[in-house]
Amino acid sequence: MTPELQQLREFTRRHFLERCHLGLANMFLASMARGAASGPDNPLAPKKPEHAPKAKSIIYLHMAGSPSQLELWDYKPELQKYDGKDCPQNLLEGKRFAFIKGVPKLLATPYQFRQHGQSGAWMSELLPNFAKAADDVCIIRSMTTDQFNHAPAQLYLHTGNPRFGYASMGAWATYGLGSENQDLPGFVVLVSGGNNPDGGKSLWGSGYLPSVYQGVQCRTQGDPVLFLSDPEGMDRGLRRKTLDAIRDLNSMQERRFGDPETQARIAQYELAYRMQTSVPKVMDISKEPDSMHKRYGTEPGKVSFANNCLLARRLVENGVRFVQLFHWGWDHHGSSRREDIRYDLPGKAKVMDQSVSALITDLKERGLLKDTLVVWGGEFGRTPMRENRGGSYGPWVGRDHHPYAFTMWMAGGGIKAGLNYGETDEIGYYVGRDRVNVRDLQATILHLLGLNPYRLSFAYQGLNQRLIGPTDEGRIMKDLLA
Amino acid sequence: MPPRIMIAILACALGAQAQAPVDYQRDIRPILAKRCIACHGPDEHGRQANLRLDTQEGATGKSGGYAGIVPGKSAKSRVYARITDSRRPMPPVGPRLSPQEVDLIRQWIDSGAPYTNHWAFERPRRPVAPAVSDPKWPVVEFDNFVLARLDKEGLRPSPVADRYTLARRVALDLTGLPPSPEMTAAYLKDTSPEAYERLVDKLLASPQYGERWARVWLDLARYADTQGYEKDNRRTIWPYRDWVIRALNSNMRFDEFTKLQLAGDLIPQATEEDLIATGFHRNTMTNTEGGTDDEEFRDAAIRDRVAVTGQVWMGLTLGCAQCHTHKYDPISHKEFYQFYAFFNQTEDSDKPDDRPALKLANASTLILKELPENQRRKTHILERGNFLTPGEEVEASVPAAFAAFPKGAPRNRLGLAEWLVSKENPLTARVTVNRFWARLFGKGIVESEEDFGTQGTAPANQELLDWLATEYMRLNWDGKAILKTIVMSATYRQSSNATPELLEKDPTNRLLARGARFRLDAEVMRDQALAVSGLLSKKMYGPPVMPWQPDGVWQVVYNGERWITSEGEDRYRRGLYTFMRRTSPYPSSMSYDAPTGEICTMRRIRTNTPLQALTSLNDPVFMEAAQQLALRTLRETGKSESARAARMFQLVLARPPEKEELRRIVSLHREVKKDLARKKASAEKLLHYDRTLYKADLEETVIADARKEGGGWRYATEDPGDGWLDAGHDDAGWRTGRGLFGAFENEERQKEVATSWETDTLWLRHEFTASERKLSDFRLQVKTVSGFEAWINGISAAGSPQERTGYYEYPITSAAERAIRPGRNVLAIRVVRNHEKKSGQSFDAGLVATRPPDFGKAGRDDADRASWVVVANAILNLDETLTRR
Repeated sequence: MTPELQQLREFTRRHFLERCHLGLANMFLASMARGAASGPDNPLAPKKPEHAPKAKSIIYLHMAGSPSQLELWDYKPELQKYDGKDCPQNLLEGKRFAFIKGVPKLLATPYQFRQHGQSGAWMSELLPNFAKAADDVCIIRSMTTDQFNHAPAQLYLHTGNPRFGYASMGAWATYGLGSENQDLPGFVVLVSGGNNPDGGKSLWGSGYLPSVYQGVQCRTQGDPVLFLSDPEGMDRGLRRKTLDAIRDLNSMQERRFGDPETQARIAQYELAYRMQTSVPKVMDISKEPDSMHKRYGTEPGKVSFANNCLLARRLVENGVRFVQLFHWGWDHHGSSRREDIRYDLPGKAKVMDQSVSALITDLKERGLLKDTLVVWGGEFGRTPMRENRGGSYGPWVGRDHHPYAFTMWMAGGGIKAGLNYGETDEIGYYVGRDRVNVRDLQATILHLLGLNPYRLSFAYQGLNQRLIGPTDEGRIMKDLLA
Repeated sequence: MPPRIMIAILACALGAQAQAPVDYQRDIRPILAKRCIACHGPDEHGRQANLRLDTQEGATGKSGGYAGIVPGKSAKSRVYARITDSRRPMPPVGPRLSPQEVDLIRQWIDSGAPYTNHWAFERPRRPVAPAVSDPKWPVVEFDNFVLARLDKEGLRPSPVADRYTLARRVALDLTGLPPSPEMTAAYLKDTSPEAYERLVDKLLASPQYGERWARVWLDLARYADTQGYEKDNRRTIWPYRDWVIRALNSNMRFDEFTKLQLAGDLIPQATEEDLIATGFHRNTMTNTEGGTDDEEFRDAAIRDRVAVTGQVWMGLTLGCAQCHTHKYDPISHKEFYQFYAFFNQTEDSDKPDDRPALKLANASTLILKELPENQRRKTHILERGNFLTPGEEVEASVPAAFAAFPKGAPRNRLGLAEWLVSKENPLTARVTVNRFWARLFGKGIVESEEDFGTQGTAPANQELLDWLATEYMRLNWDGKAILKTIVMSATYRQSSNATPELLEKDPTNRLLARGARFRLDAEVMRDQALAVSGLLSKKMYGPPVMPWQPDGVWQVVYNGERWITSEGEDRYRRGLYTFMRRTSPYPSSMSYDAPTGEICTMRRIRTNTPLQALTSLNDPVFMEAAQQLALRTLRETGKSESARAARMFQLVLARPPEKEELRRIVSLHREVKKDLARKKASAEKLLHYDRTLYKADLEETVIADARKEGGGWRYATEDPGDGWLDAGHDDAGWRTGRGLFGAFENEERQKEVATSWETDTLWLRHEFTASERKLSDFRLQVKTVSGFEAWINGISAAGSPQERTGYYEYPITSAAERAIRPGRNVLAIRVVRNHEKKSGQSFDAGLVATRPPDFGKAGRDDADRASWVVVANAILNLDETLTRR
């Protein structure tokens, strides 16, 4: 066993000794002596958090490509005035953009903004449903990141490092807390929008952590989990018979060879068998009432963001710790009609507005919102300038990548509802006050889950690797906490 | 449970927190390094109070400075006084030392303030083999170190493993494949004392040896067939993979292997092969996303090369020194960039075209190429590791703490390679033999294979490691020889069976009182399933292949690259030939802990998850292996149920089953057979499982159409009268022709016509023979702009009133399929033009069917045969199958 797993085991064992009364502890030790002395105990067994968690589960809605905050959340009347004017030089000096060349023009939003709810949150007309949830969410308009390209920015956000090979937030949460439902994966990933996010599967990978903690991608078409269905011709009855024989033969071998790992293997095969029933059950939204489908805009059997939102609720309801959604297609550069903020964004926003609002309401009605943290955002923001790819303007309108200011929102478990946090400057270029960096977001999320972001670490390559990186700059944002 | 065991476990659990004696490297050096050395360290200019604390001479005043420490007497040491001073404590800035830190320093001074060098940074010395309790046990000299350790613990080694186990173990370890039945049989028959050695030699000489150990090396080389990052486009670097396989098979010495990979381009008169070898460091990722700064990612690639070189050869975490001096190991910030300077002179930059490349006969592969003299880059220390803030300029050099740079060696990558494999280097041989050991025993003697520094795990048996390291150098880095030494040892050959006593005393087998047992690697698992079922292709080398994988997994954002399942034997190649896309790795390998090629993977951490169970139970690739294993068993074995069960078991596990195992397998077969007798469709699907994956491949042509240059049609253009469609009809008076039949106005189209047909109706007959092997799933492939109707042996088989573009497939009715007899049959077709003659008319047809699986003489009972597929699925999923023991 690796030292890491050893540590893990040590942790679980101590945790049991501390928490369980003697009978249970005895049982646990008995099973260790019999079977698992050198085999891994279940590394996904629930673990005690460092402090009482505010959020038991998290639904992280990542809009891959990065939606424009200036069309949705961040109202800038000044920018309207400067529409079509050259961007001031001092905002361009020493800056690197993905596509902008030379001096671009400032760009007003074509959408109307209004204030909503008690909190007076500004939102654009593209969010008619979400506007009604204004008092349930905390909108952070002062987000910043260090990366201005999709893959590095997504990796930085989800794994704490812009390069490949690091452990994702969901993997960290599962490593630190285990899984509540042993018949379902603890960390589920749902992807919509026609493509994987740019950072690929590394965004839910386990990096240097054992691969048991990586996210399990569930799908709404075909097998919900890869290789979940029995092969053609093998029905449940035959599968059961096969597994019985495998168990019996493994037990014979364990008696002869004495390797406790064999017991662990038998257990995993039994869990796989249970997952074959439990996963399709939770993934099957066809039995949800019509009213629910109407509310979310779901269509069973399709791959859609709406379906994934409804699934997120079902998964959380069933004890899944970390549900990560990626919805691709928000990269509105204005280089084609499909990337135009006037022609494409409204459609994307409409779907998102409906399903996300439905999710918040649904969670609230079921009493799940109070201990489910919902996070929404892209990997960076978009420029207040109109993108001039190749140095000139064509027929389409869009904005380039912008790491210096963007908007995210959070709701539920432990978050102050109805809070408008942070501000950008008059044209939305820089953060004006109450800056929140991606590191702060990571620290805050781990904190809400009951983990200590500074202590949650894993020894690898001579360093104590952490989600929040090597320095302690990431802050738990007390202002955002309920 | 006996209380004794419970106490033992509790003690073990608590033991982790028990106090160990203070260790300078582990406990003291980090405190000094972090809090004291900046002002009291090697830097003479900045040194305060003339006190130096990083060496014993300095700290005790022996080198002329201020004596801060009196060894053995903390009360008399100024250092201790100042760190505990309540008014003006040291260090003057930052928080005070914690009470624990203060206490550690006190204990250390009181124990004589020893400044020890880290064990791994001293050259290994060949230890003298100790006397042991049982002088007959050791086979190889290093066995003495293992036994001496067991003697000390009062343990006995385990008996030697039985020969079946040994054959499978050593074959899996050396070639990554189970032994073939013939190989095992030959070994069992050979009763001479040299039998085992002969087997080992045979395995080391087999080409599969190179494939297995290349996969081990490719983990380190972060090999992949794509560029990485967002776009992750395809790149051609497989010639490098092939180079590694060839180098290992020809047993290239490790020093040569090192020099060529790090600096093949700098060797005088470098050959094409030498250049291909430099692909090792061209496996770094390339970022071609919009707006990326080429220099930023060129810099990232160079750092990666530095870090990977440090990791792979020396087990050093050099990468930690890129932002600041290494916190624990003697590698300064400056030394990192001096090392960096060696790699900073290559032509490649972060560009989509991935230059420079070497043109080969059939491909173009990435290589390293040194910049011309007049274009050399200057190397600077990068402040806080940021490429935008260069600091002091540095020259190429190696960290001072390990070994001197070889005299006369050039200050370039070639010189660096010589330094790595010089016998002065304390780490390279140790790290390399430790890696061999880890692949053969499941974990290294130093468990943290990636870190031999002060933060790594201590060696379980340092003398054992040092003996192996010195032996490897004595053998002049001969890889096959050192592997042979290890697998010949008594230590390696022990049975892996564990007794409760051993499990209690040494649960993780650090002491080696038994053989190793661990789960197979992802690729080995797949290769094994293919090998035992007879599917595995032995084809070596060449471009990566795309075996079957589920739809929808491979999603590529930008370049539209598709996963197109390879044809023929390329589906069944060994795992190391599978196309490796960094952002979309092969799914079944991923669930079994295979790396993605994004980073250098020094060891794979094995996990045990339900997703793995789902993969080996249900992945169609494993299921196809089960089907083929069943067919192979049926073909190769007599009809007795237990003979079949035993054969199948032995094909997979390379040992005969025990009686109780055999009984359980037979009973599974009976249960399944009973079940399948009632489920004909299930039985059919299991038996023909491969069809669901690749139907076209199993297709057999019965009557060739024009595309396949077919002919031999009998045809008539006037009504031949009743009975013309029966098999027995005499068509001797009919004309003979071949497709395409028809006529066109258009000259181009007319060229396709082989036999002119201009009437309204065409009558066709074609004889065919159905072979002994019963074909099934007959389909008519027809190209027509007219309606047609077809019969086989007079029974209506297919038809259509409409025209279709191109060849279109019509399944034959089951009544017609039943009418096909061994021997002579007749397909009869009537074509009726169903439109007014416009521009023309045409017709052609062919008949295809699916080849059935080869059951040998297995009888005709589908339920019986299909149930062996289920049994095979179970046997391929036994813990013992997935494990090497």
